[in-house]
Amino acid sequence: MLKGHLDMIVLAALAAAGSAHGYAVIEEIKQRSGGAFDLPEGTIYPALHRLEQAGLLNSRWTTADNGRRRRVYSLTRTGTRALAERRAVWKQFSDAIGGLLGGVRPRETPA
Amino acid sequence: MIDDYLDRLARELDFDRALACRVREEVEDHLREAVASRSTGQAVEAEQRAIASFGDARAIAAQFALVSLAKQSRRAAAAAVLVIAAIFVAMKARVAWYAVTQLVIRDEMRPVSRLVLQIDRYAFFCALLIGLGGWLYIRSRRIPTAFHPAYRQQLHRFFVSCEATAAALALSVLSDAVLTALSLSGAGLSMAFLVPVLSMAIEVACIALLVFRIRDVARRAASTAALTGT
Repeated sequence: MLKGHLDMIVLAALAAAGSAHGYAVIEEIKQRSGGAFDLPEGTIYPALHRLEQAGLLNSRWTTADNGRRRRVYSLTRTGTRALAERRAVWKQFSDAIGGLLGGVRPRETPA
Repeated sequence: MIDDYLDRLARELDFDRALACRVREEVEDHLREAVASRSTGQAVEAEQRAIASFGDARAIAAQFALVSLAKQSRRAAAAAVLVIAAIFVAMKARVAWYAVTQLVIRDEMRPVSRLVLQIDRYAFFCALLIGLGGWLYIRSRRIPTAFHPAYRQQLHRFFVSCEATAAALALSVLSDAVLTALSLSGAGLSMAFLVPVLSMAIEVACIALLVFRIRDVARRAASTAALTGT
């Protein structure tokens, strides 16, 4: 299930962290999810490249305090919009499943 | 240990040197930071843990290969459109030059030239339509996360459109070559030949470039399929 939502998770982590390099994105995901997602850390990087290619992220090289070159990513406007759309879809889905499992009717979304 | 892992990862990404260099630097930064911030004592153990958490080099490289393949196929589709535009400009420049230098096809060759011109036009418009269609198609597809059958189908359609574009363009350029030969035959060798010959050379070079790009993407698709184990 996680694999299908990896892009949304990475976008959300970057939205929370602002500009961040891969390691910081992983730490943000771990911290915000309470360590619930146990995925190989390396899978984040192809996702970052894929999202950048899709125009949802942009990136630039910076120099870290230790002198190493570091690739830092941030959301583009398209990325911010895409995240908002995915959030809305997820909320709708989550409400519907919550309603089914918990017996509570999901709120009607205005047309 | 980290260096060995980075070498392995870069080797797997050897098909795209720029990507291999970028990934190597990014991953090195990640692994060194992981070792520094999660180290609890032994450096060797910390490196082992960082590499284990990062995942198998081949599996990670396979995911990068997919992203790279999608990028290359989009670039090839854009190259096809640019090649079509370049050939159009070369054709128009040649025709304008004929008007300036008053190079005309001999009367007895006119029926042949009319037929070849029709072939040229149809072939060029076919190339334009298919090329633009292929470019819009591949641009509108999402970048895949796996080499699944739907993506294979997508790539197949893309290759068919690229090959059809290249074939139609090759026919158009061949027709141009015939028309150029007809226009220049009979006229004495002079500097006026320079523009038509140069424009033909540009058209042939454009076709060669397009074929080279398509073959490169095809090779990339094969190596990505091998890397992903499909």
